[in-house]
Amino acid sequence: MERISELMDGELEAREAQRQLARIKRDEELAYCWSTFHLIGDALRGERPLSREISSRVATQLANEPTVLAPRSFTPKRAATYAVSVAASLSAIALVVWIAFNNPLAPTEIAKALPALPPAPVELANLPSEGQMNDYLMAHQEFSPSTEIQGLAPYIRSVSGTQQAKGR
Amino acid sequence: MKAVWATVLLGLAAAPVIAAAPAPGDDGVAWLKKMASAARRLNYDGTFVYHHAGRNETSRIIHFVNAAGGEFERLEAIDGPRREVIRTNDQVTCYLPGTKTVIIEKRSARRFPALLPERLGGVSDSYTVRMAGRDRVAGFDCQVVTLEPKDKLRYGHQFCAETTSGLLLRARTLSEKNEPLESFVFTELKIGGAFSRDKVKSQYADKSKDWKVDTSSLVLSDVATDTGWVVSRQPAGFRKLTELKRSIAGRAAMVSQIVYSDGLAAVSVFIEPLPKAQPPQSLLHQGAVNIYVRRMADHMVTVLGETPATTVMQIANSLEFRGAQSR
Repeated sequence: MERISELMDGELEAREAQRQLARIKRDEELAYCWSTFHLIGDALRGERPLSREISSRVATQLANEPTVLAPRSFTPKRAATYAVSVAASLSAIALVVWIAFNNPLAPTEIAKALPALPPAPVELANLPSEGQMNDYLMAHQEFSPSTEIQGLAPYIRSVSGTQQAKGR
Repeated sequence: MKAVWATVLLGLAAAPVIAAAPAPGDDGVAWLKKMASAARRLNYDGTFVYHHAGRNETSRIIHFVNAAGGEFERLEAIDGPRREVIRTNDQVTCYLPGTKTVIIEKRSARRFPALLPERLGGVSDSYTVRMAGRDRVAGFDCQVVTLEPKDKLRYGHQFCAETTSGLLLRARTLSEKNEPLESFVFTELKIGGAFSRDKVKSQYADKSKDWKVDTSSLVLSDVATDTGWVVSRQPAGFRKLTELKRSIAGRAAMVSQIVYSDGLAAVSVFIEPLPKAQPPQSLLHQGAVNIYVRRMADHMVTVLGETPATTVMQIANSLEFRGAQSR
């Protein structure tokens, strides 16, 4: 569970993140945690957590997916693990319900969205900024201690790049 | 007799080692302070190469302090697109002839004392500071100081400062894998000498009169402001340096800026209203600087700093708005 929270915060290394994502894909309960954590995070930050078409989008996607006729094998879990996870899930639900009731944003949508599938993992490629961030770099540079020991030299970063920002 | 001399010589050679033994990092930290002071106080004129992502960019830099303590500096890229940066005390002006743009970064108060001694003290909490022998750069002997990060939240650094003055001649940033990410190296340098104001004036001063001018400034006279935004999980070793509301070139709305630092590396968080063209979540880099852009409700959050992407993302992902409660 802790790993999942670290994954959400982008704190895991690429390989470990892959491993956790694979676990989420395998384990329904983890998948449920993953989506619940996101929902809680969004609600706490006051973001409109889900677009209005979420239910219909999920429904469409489900309809498009081939129906798996063979039932999955189910291995019973040890009682203790189960109890803990149930408790965690219950408190998560309680929090979500509390947020839902205190949130002016259509609570039914939040409730409906709970069983939604975990969002597809977004892998961010780290791309060269090519001059498009120069204004932020400029604004940051003055506060960086590196400017104190290097003088203006690091400003070359703020005006660096093959393409200069076209004055947004 | 020979044996006696040998003993004396050995003793002399060993003495500095013994003296430095109790806290080897202290010397390194003292050197960092020396570098900061040299960068502010000395007159110098030289050419340096900025190396990043397999590219080299050569620039000329001139720094000049007048009798009244006024600081003037000029940086000019001498290959690639024409670019010039001028510092006159508390104002930094960028001239970009390619797009006929002038960007002015103005500070209303004195220059930010980022490297105050107590902050530098924090450096040894996050890095193992070592004196790593002598080297030679641009014809000058220099003292190598290395900063090895104690965790993966920051990069390693290697500095080489001119032995007598302390002026930084070479700065390298090393990745988590100890590979060079970027470096600044002087290839030719003159320390000292009288400077004229003309040498630190922009060559575009007249030409730029009809160029587009973007002015950024720190309002509320650099007084720390409560922006209402809080980073709930600050990366270890990072402390908040400042928090303010400001304008940024090309933005109509005010932007909140919060700066965190571990004494050497800094991370800035910028929060502003969501622009019309909604930015996609993205991770970018420029040399050793990582930049992460994300959306939070009706705001665009841009976090950047000379740290690994993990640090920048951790800060961005633990940002919360608590302004409403405090009012």
